Amino acid sequence: MQSDAERKELRRGIQDAVARLDASGVVNLARRLLATSSKPADVMFCTTAFAAVGDALQEQLGARRLKTFVVRSVTVEPILPSLSVEAVLANYVLDLTVGGYGSYADELLNMNSSLAKSQPDLVLILLDLEDIAGRLPDLCADGIGAEVEKEVEECVARVAQLLKNYRAGSTARILFQGVVAPDTSSLGDVGEANLPHSLPHAVQRLNMGLAALCGTITDCVFFDVDRLAARYGRTQWRDARMFYASRLAVSADMFRKYSCGLVRSFSTLFRAPRKVLCTDLDNTLWGGILGEDGPNGIATESAFPGNCYLAYQQYLKQISSRGILLAIVSKNNEADVREAFHIRAADLALGLDNFVAHKISWNEKADSIRELAKELSLGLDSFVFVDDSPEECEAIRQQLPEVAVVEAPALEPWKLVEILSEQSFFDAASVTGEDVTRVQEYKAQAQRAVLASSASSRDEFLASLGIVCSFQSALQAPLSRAVQLLVKTNQFNLTTRRRSAAEVEQFAAEKGGQAVVVRVRDRFGDAGVVGLALARMHGDSCILDSLLLSCRVIGRGIETALLAHVCENALRAGAKRLVGEFIATSKNAPCEHFYTDHGFTRIISSEEAASDSVLYELELTASVPTYPRWITMEGNESYER
Amino acid sequence: MSVEQVPPSLRELLADIFEISPEQVTAELSMEQVDSWDSFRHLQAILALEGEYGVQFDPQRIPELTSVALLLSELKKKGATL
Repeated sequence: MQSDAERKELRRGIQDAVARLDASGVVNLARRLLATSSKPADVMFCTTAFAAVGDALQEQLGARRLKTFVVRSVTVEPILPSLSVEAVLANYVLDLTVGGYGSYADELLNMNSSLAKSQPDLVLILLDLEDIAGRLPDLCADGIGAEVEKEVEECVARVAQLLKNYRAGSTARILFQGVVAPDTSSLGDVGEANLPHSLPHAVQRLNMGLAALCGTITDCVFFDVDRLAARYGRTQWRDARMFYASRLAVSADMFRKYSCGLVRSFSTLFRAPRKVLCTDLDNTLWGGILGEDGPNGIATESAFPGNCYLAYQQYLKQISSRGILLAIVSKNNEADVREAFHIRAADLALGLDNFVAHKISWNEKADSIRELAKELSLGLDSFVFVDDSPEECEAIRQQLPEVAVVEAPALEPWKLVEILSEQSFFDAASVTGEDVTRVQEYKAQAQRAVLASSASSRDEFLASLGIVCSFQSALQAPLSRAVQLLVKTNQFNLTTRRRSAAEVEQFAAEKGGQAVVVRVRDRFGDAGVVGLALARMHGDSCILDSLLLSCRVIGRGIETALLAHVCENALRAGAKRLVGEFIATSKNAPCEHFYTDHGFTRIISSEEAASDSVLYELELTASVPTYPRWITMEGNESYER
Repeated sequence: MSVEQVPPSLRELLADIFEISPEQVTAELSMEQVDSWDSFRHLQAILALEGEYGVQFDPQRIPELTSVALLLSELKKKGATL
């Protein structure tokens, strides 16, 4: 227990930091104060302090200010200080407005309601069982109630109507809170457990239905408050006295846990999860020190304490199956590590190939993480670092403050998975097909980077990639992908014309017109359709309307291959020259010299000065760009008309 | 009554909740004299006092405890060590 003197000291420190408008000072001291004191007075003290530095939190710490409207049927006001505090600790500043008790339906349905008018960034919908499914307790009273399922469906349908109606008129992110199963019902524990339609069972079904509903609504997350109540104890969760007297649905002791849960849930609507977990090996991925204990001496097996490490490995494998990349950052001899993974393969839950990259050396770990960030083309704020060494952890905190650091408890290895689960950095409310395949794609990316640093020359590197290009009409490839490229590509895009699907079809249909996509794969993976060119004939010139390439594949000669292909088609259509256009934007500098690099000459015309567009031409009768020799062409048929 | 008669721990707690300075928390101070002391802040103060002193107020008495003196005497009646 923190001494009162220390508490007072921290409070004085916070006041001083407020006076200096030192946002990070206020937050850090408040974090320390709140780590040991959940006293309502201290929470309120921090709320007041945070409110005084609201703008500084935004300016100095990049906190996100969210205009937040609470739609509710229960008393929330005493909880709001905790909610504001937990939000600030997660780098949000909430401007809170609370709706009326009885008016939640009107607020969501009426286009002129105070909610609709306030145009919030975030809406928290906090209703009670009574409001969502008031008939359920009675229907469940006999435990076999035939109407329960129908009622649950109807309740979900009613909520669907509220949410869909509100969604149609607002872009606010929505958090919808589920229902807490009452701790007691007239059936008693045994009846509740055994009867198919007991209230706890019905509430479970109701929550599942509501969660599925939220999944179908854009920017809407389901908040499973029942899970929190179960974790911290249902008898602790609600104070019946305060619920009946004041409609307060959460007991005062649980305000912070509840607020934390709310913040963690709505965060998924505003923040992408971190993408990479870098793990240490010795006393983190396995027990013991490989260099001292040898591959057979390290602990990783079904017996204690190896099973604690096994549980961590399983956790890693599980997060990687939803697209979180794993990397090893360890001070070890690489050969020893390879040997350990080989000899102990049967005792380990994952192999070296589950990691997209590894940095096993005696280099500084901060340097290794920097290298990884570069190789994977990801920001440091996407990284999580797990290590048992307090010194290594501190070094990363200081040198790479963007990286989230988790200190593995070397003496209590059974706690590591718990500690990781408490963190919100991998939270995601949905998982897409792209997430699932991401691991493969980044693995390929990292392998290419390693090869690039080992190959002695660029040509040698490119040749070793084994690039294969195939060209197709944009109509043969999924047209949606071509349009997606037109919309999303900024860096290697000569004209940045956002052509529509219909326009792409027109280019393909015209006599002498071209709408070509390029598909690329190499020995590490299939990148899919990554480039597009649109061109049309004008007299004896072929006019290049658009040429673009996904930034993932720039610098491998694919742009040259695409151009060579367009030239071939143009010649076949009877063109004598190719006219290209460059329109500079704030982002497309990488392709600024594309034409001159490929033998084009600039056309100086009087009209040009007026526009941003620069024209280039290439006499096709004189010379034509050739395919880079390190690229293999495939399915190179013609499709001009 | 003077400032001295309100125990410091109570004074500080109420000052935090009502966002006023501890010196303002006199025994005479009542709900109508403090702008921020509305019914919700009142409930918040009650919850804070219950947590701090390990007591439980009777819900029916809660709305009646509208001054520092009343809160103090109710706390004493509940056996709180101030």
